[in-house]
Amino acid sequence: MIEAEYDVIVVGAGAGGAIAAALLAEAGKSVLLLERGRWMGYADVGRDHLRNQRLPRYGHNLGPPIEGHPRVFVSPSGEERQVRPHEEGYHNNAAAVGGATVVYGAQAWRFVPLDFRMASTYGVPEGSSLADWPLSYEELEPVYERAEWEIGVCGDGRQSRLLGQRGRGYPMPPVPDNPERKLLGEAAGGLGWEAGPVPLAINSVPYGGRPACIRCGVCIGFACPTDSKNGTQNTMVPRALATGRCTLVTDAMAERIETDDGGRVIGVTFFVAEDGQPKRKSARARAIVVSCGAIESARLLLNSASPNHPRGLGNEFDQVGRHLQGHYYPGALGFFEQETYDGNGPGVSIATWQFNHGNTGIIGGAMLANEFIKTPIQFWHRAWPPGMPRWGLVAKRFMRDNYRRLVHVQGPVQEIPSPDARVTLDPRVRDKFGIPVARLSGTTHPETVRTSLFMRGKAEQWLRAAGAKTIYSGAIGLRLSAGQHQAGTCRMGSDPNKSVTDSWGCVHGHDNLLVMDGSLHVTNGGFNPALTIMALAFRCAERLAKDL
Amino acid sequence: LDLNLPPTGVFAIISAVYWTDEMRKTLAAAIDRIIPEDDYLGAFAAEAGDYIERILAGDLKHRASGFAEGLASLDAEANARFGQGFALLTAANQDTILSAVESGVVTTVWQTAPREFFRLLLELTAEGYYSDPGSGGNRGGVSWKMVGFDPKT
Repeated sequence: MIEAEYDVIVVGAGAGGAIAAALLAEAGKSVLLLERGRWMGYADVGRDHLRNQRLPRYGHNLGPPIEGHPRVFVSPSGEERQVRPHEEGYHNNAAAVGGATVVYGAQAWRFVPLDFRMASTYGVPEGSSLADWPLSYEELEPVYERAEWEIGVCGDGRQSRLLGQRGRGYPMPPVPDNPERKLLGEAAGGLGWEAGPVPLAINSVPYGGRPACIRCGVCIGFACPTDSKNGTQNTMVPRALATGRCTLVTDAMAERIETDDGGRVIGVTFFVAEDGQPKRKSARARAIVVSCGAIESARLLLNSASPNHPRGLGNEFDQVGRHLQGHYYPGALGFFEQETYDGNGPGVSIATWQFNHGNTGIIGGAMLANEFIKTPIQFWHRAWPPGMPRWGLVAKRFMRDNYRRLVHVQGPVQEIPSPDARVTLDPRVRDKFGIPVARLSGTTHPETVRTSLFMRGKAEQWLRAAGAKTIYSGAIGLRLSAGQHQAGTCRMGSDPNKSVTDSWGCVHGHDNLLVMDGSLHVTNGGFNPALTIMALAFRCAERLAKDL
Repeated sequence: LDLNLPPTGVFAIISAVYWTDEMRKTLAAAIDRIIPEDDYLGAFAAEAGDYIERILAGDLKHRASGFAEGLASLDAEANARFGQGFALLTAANQDTILSAVESGVVTTVWQTAPREFFRLLLELTAEGYYSDPGSGGNRGGVSWKMVGFDPKT
């Protein structure tokens, strides 16, 4: 039952929105939580190796459905095409209760202190919109810890000069060793690089009332068979619902945020399915939280234009949708004489953070880690050495001999944002509800490519030191980057001319409109961004609950 | 009309393909050269052919008629160069034909671009052999046993 009025409406039940809903409901507020996707359990997500977030050959295993939800992608040369969610150029982020955390790999990294001070550390390259965050690592440290304990993260919790100071360790020890951790760990030691276990939002031991990981090996891109992977769907959404004050509506697509004659935000208009037909509804609230992911959050704000806000909400200075970024993932494939995969998942087990900063002549850097286990068909698509025959007995033998002998090292490069990499509204194309769709254009800044080439070299060096007999890596070119790590489109900042929200996620010029997702990230760190999205949601929602 | 989008309505009916025995024999022979039998099943015995028919009737319906034309052209190419249909050639001659199609150097007139047809044939064979048995191929998980992928659940 949808009421006419709530204290808060949260749009999007993913990594950020579910945390906002839980904290607000636990603080006594009535919350309407709108989610365009559905509840997706293990059986619903399935084990289709051709339709998943890692290899979306013919579709996806979570929403949005591939028909009726297009975007428009504009290539660097200006050629535009309409794309569906599983096609290149869409930059999909899974839609479901829990968002992409249902199927993520669950690497749960904190950003490091320098990640929040990129502009003052490196200067601002010509043509980029590199900037400092309006808050520091130290200010986020307590909420990083909260996210680690309340979502559930395993790791070794060491103190390191290169990582930020920790107030407390992780609630669970790392997942057990695998051959790759031993090989790469010894190699890093020999090179003098700092390396260690990858923090994962996966139960290495029973936690949160759910069992330990069975190490099945089909982790990223899929749901967990034992519910041992911690997303917001099995932590924060249940907490929100347990209060009795949160109404979760699935299959609910927000159309626009409504404002009154004075321009004040008053509610949300959205579509829900009734008897199989989309039906337009609206609800009012004292505050609205936008948590749709960097592309869809920008789209919603832009689609909420009104006479008082003709360019869209929060967009007086043409900042909403700009600085779109994600992560370039340079890396290398190393093939070994001996088997490096022992049949146990999740695969990813060791990382080095030696090169996130302090690289002479390079801006920023990346964490490097070994990859998750690839499905065999994904291996066929992504791990084929150049020059190796694609068919015949030789090709079959290559699969047979090398599937368990591949170590793939790669890492997320901290991108140098460009104001021209952006989300706008397409003037013509609409989705099945009639809502103007996101149009993606521009590219990252060329410095991102330079940092990526540097990191590719480090991945090769690490594999060589570990004893790989052959090493391959791919070309790296200038392109738009967003994908599942999409960020930056409603960046935080103290100057309303150059940002969309303040350091509490509150949209400049509005005291009751907030953003809580990767859109807030001024820069996206050289690490997987999920834990930072979560930490920011804890910070911003805690403040909103107090103020409201 | 965007040819990359799946057809709807009347276009869907036009693009449906009726599989003859001849087409199936050609397909079986071709995919068994892409992934031949050794001490593990070849592509056809692993039911990659069933997968291909299924995907061309489903997600790839819009490419089914082009694929059927490609199979017919493969036979025509075999006849032109070796005087027999593709399925009847020796393995070595089949490989010669497939290599020619892969590189786009063909001697007959193709209605569909040879290199595109080969790429589709190659990818669908791999999908039918290495993806999950639930997709319709990879009989009994044969390729997963071969490579050592054991997902436990």
